[in-house]
Amino acid sequence: MDEISNFDQKKKNFSLYKRRVILLSIPFLVMFLVFFLQILNLSVFNNSIYATASENNRIINIPIYSTRGLIRDENENLIVENIVHQKLIIVPEKTIDLATSLLELQDLLSISDGDILFFKRSLSKRTYKYEPITLVRNLSPEQVAKYSINKERWPSVRIEANLVRQALDGPLYSHIIGYMGQVDTDNISESGDFKYKLDALIGKAGIEKFYENILRGSVGYKTVEADVHGALVRQLSKVDPLKAPDLFLSIDKDLQSIARESMIGKSGAVIAMDPKSGFIKALVSFPDYDPVTFNQGQQESLKAIMQNKNSPLFNRAVSGKYPPASTIKPFLGLLGLNKSLIDWGTSVEDNGVFQVKEDGRVFKGWKEGGHGEVNLTKAITESSDVYFYNLALKLKINEISDFLKSIGFNSITGIDLDNEQTGTVPDQNWKLGQTGSSWYVGDTVNIGIGQGYLTATPIQLVVAASALANKGKAYKPKLVKRIGSNQVKKELLYTIETSKENWTKMEDALISVISSWNGTAHNIYELDGNRIAGKTGTAQTSSLQEEEEYSVIRAESSRRDHALFIGYGPIPDPSLAIVVIVEYGESGSAVAAPIAKKLFDSYFTKKL
Amino acid sequence: MARLRPLEHTLNTRLGEVPYSKKLSSILVDIPLILSLIVTLVFGLFILYSASGQSDLMITRQGIYVIFGIILMISIAQLQAKTYQDMATHLIWVAISLLVIVLIFPAEGYKTNRWIDLGFISFQPSEIVRLMLPLSIASFLTRKRTRLLLKDWLIVVLAIFVCSFLVIKQPDLGTSIIIIIAGFLPVFLAGFPLFYLFSFFLIFFLMSPFLWGALKEYQQQRIITLFNPDVDPLGAGWNISQSKTAIGSGGISGKGYLEGTQSQLDFIPESHSDFIFAVLGEEFGFIGILFLIILYAFIFYRSLKIALNSKSEFGRVLVGSLTFIFMVYVFINILMVVGIIPVVGVPLPLISQGGTSMLIHLLSFGFILSIKRSNYDIN
Repeated sequence: MDEISNFDQKKKNFSLYKRRVILLSIPFLVMFLVFFLQILNLSVFNNSIYATASENNRIINIPIYSTRGLIRDENENLIVENIVHQKLIIVPEKTIDLATSLLELQDLLSISDGDILFFKRSLSKRTYKYEPITLVRNLSPEQVAKYSINKERWPSVRIEANLVRQALDGPLYSHIIGYMGQVDTDNISESGDFKYKLDALIGKAGIEKFYENILRGSVGYKTVEADVHGALVRQLSKVDPLKAPDLFLSIDKDLQSIARESMIGKSGAVIAMDPKSGFIKALVSFPDYDPVTFNQGQQESLKAIMQNKNSPLFNRAVSGKYPPASTIKPFLGLLGLNKSLIDWGTSVEDNGVFQVKEDGRVFKGWKEGGHGEVNLTKAITESSDVYFYNLALKLKINEISDFLKSIGFNSITGIDLDNEQTGTVPDQNWKLGQTGSSWYVGDTVNIGIGQGYLTATPIQLVVAASALANKGKAYKPKLVKRIGSNQVKKELLYTIETSKENWTKMEDALISVISSWNGTAHNIYELDGNRIAGKTGTAQTSSLQEEEEYSVIRAESSRRDHALFIGYGPIPDPSLAIVVIVEYGESGSAVAAPIAKKLFDSYFTKKL
Repeated sequence: MARLRPLEHTLNTRLGEVPYSKKLSSILVDIPLILSLIVTLVFGLFILYSASGQSDLMITRQGIYVIFGIILMISIAQLQAKTYQDMATHLIWVAISLLVIVLIFPAEGYKTNRWIDLGFISFQPSEIVRLMLPLSIASFLTRKRTRLLLKDWLIVVLAIFVCSFLVIKQPDLGTSIIIIIAGFLPVFLAGFPLFYLFSFFLIFFLMSPFLWGALKEYQQQRIITLFNPDVDPLGAGWNISQSKTAIGSGGISGKGYLEGTQSQLDFIPESHSDFIFAVLGEEFGFIGILFLIILYAFIFYRSLKIALNSKSEFGRVLVGSLTFIFMVYVFINILMVVGIIPVVGVPLPLISQGGTSMLIHLLSFGFILSIKRSNYDIN
């Protein structure tokens, strides 16, 4: 190859090279443009989006919960406190192999399948990153020991102190204070800003439930900066929660104990209330349970409670619906007086049987042969049924239902407990709606003695009794007397209006129920005892067929009559109103009244 | 030619007679290029200090590599092209041998067979290969003054594929792509007929389903994630989404040096190596990114100038190749970090932590400078 062609070749090669360089530069230019646009997009146009994402990465808001408010009695003695238990928690993000760790822990600590299931459900519901999840709520000392020896194996697992509710007196206050249970998803989503912890326990019944929003306190927040591993780098800010206030119950412990003791072996409810304020002094529903069983999740005992046929969880005091039976008589008497259908002199011949003219249906009185000639005082003292059959017929159902509704029946009293029932005050419309059949005169007659479709709760009855005690005024029943340092004020619920004379004579009649030799509760009379007024009641649970004798029914305990008593004392300045209902107790005078007497005596003795 | 400098640029002769500044410029060959490299390296050390969680140890080690690399670069710059031009052809055998050795005797303690452990030092042969390959190919294709035959091209293409196949086996998808590019750049610049080139790409394209099957599952996953990083932000898409968050949250002026929360709290994975660009973006913002891009552009401009001014075809092809390889590294890395291309594990040149990569880049610039020096000597 000669010089010139070599030179040409070189020149040719160089221009080819230059073209190639330009060609190569094009994709780089394109790449640069793509890159530049992306950078503009990231750090200029969408800066705020990424800035937020970056903040969310590192900033974690950890809620701080207040310790739950305590429950005390009037004298500041503890009823429910918080005690420390140990729980096992795990942080899933920090766990390298979650499934294996779970299996190992389950094997070592014999964790129940239920707990594992709960854990797995909690995984998806957490509210903040690195939120620990509870694996075992209550570690036994044995589990703590086993875990402690092996803890290096699971660096993301640790034991944490856990406050658990402790009812100091076991079952004594069970139906008042209620119990705690696992928070459910709805509770969490409805709790708004409070945001329950996933493993939080919340009040499921009683005071614990009714005052949940007060007892739980407010929620505070700790804002921390954390790295990618969730390790806390520094604390940015902290808002402490407000301390949850303690609740002070109006309950009198001695009275409560006596009430509960006297109900052991029976079922029913006892409520004692201060008629002047509405504050409850004792409230027992029996059978009951030990709240500790729930608060600490003791599985075996829980099962036993759930399977108990006598429904120990059912709060008869506010949810039980009973025929008020003869305890309704004083109120109907007052209505009759107010409507001028009767006066204190009006008398009726009671021969033990009452026949409805319209359909010829026969109603028997409780006493064979009757009480002879009875006026209102005698009708209350001896609890004449025939007198009140007559009165009811005169009053008509609408008068009766309107009046009973005006004195708190058919609606809740608003006591600070959950699941309060209204009971039923029937009328024509109600019966048509419920049974599809029309109202019979006989239905009205039945209501005259507090039977038939009429039902009331023990709390309604004690409030009604307190209206008698106050000669008119009835206050809303309340269990909590003080929230923190705030006194709870009394609230008027309703007033029964009638003349002073009527009140005096009604009280005399109610006193004679006990003091008179012919009174239905004369069995609890003591010559120099406290003066108390009351009214017994015996509620039929099944209606007597004509040919059937009560002795037949007796044999079957579930068909026996309920025993009732309402009363107040001491006269003339009543400080306690009481209702006692003993299911299948048969006799208001023999079974219910003596329990009330015990309570009165204890309470008044103490006051002196 | 006016452009050519007088004899005084010859280092071997008459060095003592030239003024000091001239001496310096004759040793350093291209002061603007070297200065911009040093600025980049020092800037890199600053970013690395932040990215490494302010690790003095890491900065010291990297600093030693930087100093050693600069010395190496300037030493190589003193070489005359003719001293290695012919010999370089045989580097292909060294390259293939190293890649085979690494597969047979990989260093222990790594998940992949990418490292050779010599006891006192361990290095990644694939990094060295991507310098040896253009050297060898540039030398082979420019050894004859006659037109190249199809046979010559085929030999070269075969060599490239052998090397990249060996790297895929390690397995290292990112580097094997670099190896292919590092091999084809000199081929392309040496005038490989475009017809053949398109044929190759057509074959490659048709074979792509089979190649996809040959990829490891995690490699496929990376490519899938790229197109949809939000599907699984805590899984495979985590890296991209976190680095985008870092850059995006940096805004225009950045969060401040050592103040980047994404970087300092470890949200950016591999923040000291492959994802160091995200640290720069977070702490120095758009302005910091622009600064680095300008540095890279300047380095590219100076190097390309050397390529175009090179008197020998070997010099042109070699410098052009090395320059574009450098830019390929830059773009693969930055496009990966901003989420345009899949996560392939390519470090950011001159900035990312890592000795081998740093030394090879500086070595490349040594050769680029050496070609510039050789120009003077031709005259």
